[in-house]
Amino acid sequence: MSVDAIVNGVLVGGLYALAGLGLSLVSGVLRLVNLAHGATLVAGAYAAYLVLDAVDVDPLVAAPAAMVAVGAIAFLLQRYLLTDLMAAGPQAPMIATFGLALLVEAALQGAFSTDPKSLQAGYATAGFDALGVRVQSVYLVAFSLAFAACVATHLVLTRTRQGAVVRAAAADPGMAAALGHDVRRIYALTFASGAALAALAGVMTGTAQSFGPASGFGLLLVAFAVVALGGMGSALGALAGGVALGVIQAVGVEVAGDEYRDVTVYVTFLVVLTVRPAGLAFRGSE
Amino acid sequence: MTRALATLATATAAALAAAGLLAPADLDLAVTLLVYVTIAQAWNILGGYAGQISLGVAAFVGAGGYSTGLLLLHTDAAWPIALAGSGLVAALVALALAPALLRLHGAYFVVGTLVVAVALQAFVLTWDWAGGAIGLTLPFDALPGSAALFRAAVAVCALTLAATLLVRGSRFGLRLMAIRDDEDAAAGLGVSVPAHRLGALVLSSALTGLAGGVLALQLVSFAPDGMFALSWTLAALLAVAIGGGGTFAGPIVGAAVVYYGLTRQLDDLETLSLALEGALLIAIVRLAPRGLWPRISDWLIDAGVARGRRDHRQRAGR
Repeated sequence: MSVDAIVNGVLVGGLYALAGLGLSLVSGVLRLVNLAHGATLVAGAYAAYLVLDAVDVDPLVAAPAAMVAVGAIAFLLQRYLLTDLMAAGPQAPMIATFGLALLVEAALQGAFSTDPKSLQAGYATAGFDALGVRVQSVYLVAFSLAFAACVATHLVLTRTRQGAVVRAAAADPGMAAALGHDVRRIYALTFASGAALAALAGVMTGTAQSFGPASGFGLLLVAFAVVALGGMGSALGALAGGVALGVIQAVGVEVAGDEYRDVTVYVTFLVVLTVRPAGLAFRGSE
Repeated sequence: MTRALATLATATAAALAAAGLLAPADLDLAVTLLVYVTIAQAWNILGGYAGQISLGVAAFVGAGGYSTGLLLLHTDAAWPIALAGSGLVAALVALALAPALLRLHGAYFVVGTLVVAVALQAFVLTWDWAGGAIGLTLPFDALPGSAALFRAAVAVCALTLAATLLVRGSRFGLRLMAIRDDEDAAAGLGVSVPAHRLGALVLSSALTGLAGGVLALQLVSFAPDGMFALSWTLAALLAVAIGGGGTFAGPIVGAAVVYYGLTRQLDDLETLSLALEGALLIAIVRLAPRGLWPRISDWLIDAGVARGRRDHRQRAGR
């Protein structure tokens, strides 16, 4: 096992952590299985692609615009579609998110065709040697961003009043509502934040790799694997889960060959489901 | 139940006898429709009666299709044996995955089944012995003619419909419905929840695998992209959503609507059909959670169009 593979596994894991962070937040707080999470990432990548098409800037500069646009749409969807469905149990909103994923894919196909796209950045293909290890710059940028996003989300959730309210709504929505908090609004804001984080992950993914309208389901499963490894609703868990997945994949590719890149992720996910009897259970509750 | 089974047997016999009268193009069309009905009804056993919503249909269509294909390519088995093999292998795949899948409940079962489907596709794409990304082309001499294939499709579909009727009318089926409606209460009353969920999963997967086997014989040449396509899962889910889950007639109506209304009409318009399917799923869960068809039939009854049927219902004391 080469040090190169491990280091790059950790860095790729940063990208995975970013992909899983928004999903972890939404699963943990809303108890909603969001099958449109992958489509949200792809939508974020396309939003940045539109910005880059108009003005010649770095994808990271376009990311805030993509995050706001995707977050705003997500807010409206949660507020006016999913919240009502959630009253009927977990299955109706989940199937609705599956429908949304298909709709987003169709809309992107119609607007951009199925040709693969990528976001151009100076560091996208560059690399450097650090202490004898070959590092791709884009993954280092993604890892730093993921680290910052996961720690920031963790601090907001645990150290601020707003975060405490969100955690209260997650733990007991009825009691939070009785204490005067607008749970529907908290849900919509959390969902929008999750989508904005997904858009950021989409921009980084789009800079590191090429993407198309159908990339969503693959990214969704990566995100789910991260959440399975790190636990739901835990921002630091997402970071740990992403890094773990990246390293496991790097080891898997080293052992089995590059064509097993995706298979490793799915097998890891299935094994985690099998060995953790509670499956993807929310940590510390239920 | 006995009457329904007798009607099904009569209809099956009539369909088998009609095989000689139909033109090859009609037979081909009928085979596809029968595959859709089979997949939808098999999904209904697991999703509608047992309440285990699965997004893993494609895994078992693909497992069945590839089993039939590989048996024909690498052994001397006759095609009926290869077809039976598709059901067996799909059941074995379900058994192998059950320890992982049955740990998951509700929405997490859904995600688990989705992973299984995508993982199997990714695995077969890299499996050179099974043709990798290029896929398989079956030996032409070993394949059934269009009338024989139609009869096989009728048999597979009839088997699935009979299984649904038997599930609906049996203790096993009643217990599945009890688990669907309240898992904790069912367990409290002594129903072995894991055993029943396993039974529903294996039965549904075996029938889905048989549909995949028929599909392989019809397509002759196929690749993981098509055989393990998410569109099979979507077709089953939509058919049951339209027709209404946990009913016998619903998925049959739904499969016909999906096939004639969407798949055939929008064959060349991939983007539009994807958008329409997505919008339809959202509209159904939002506006008609029991399914579109029960909604329409209720409306017809209320509007008095089916007044006779209502009178009949009232006389029957329902």
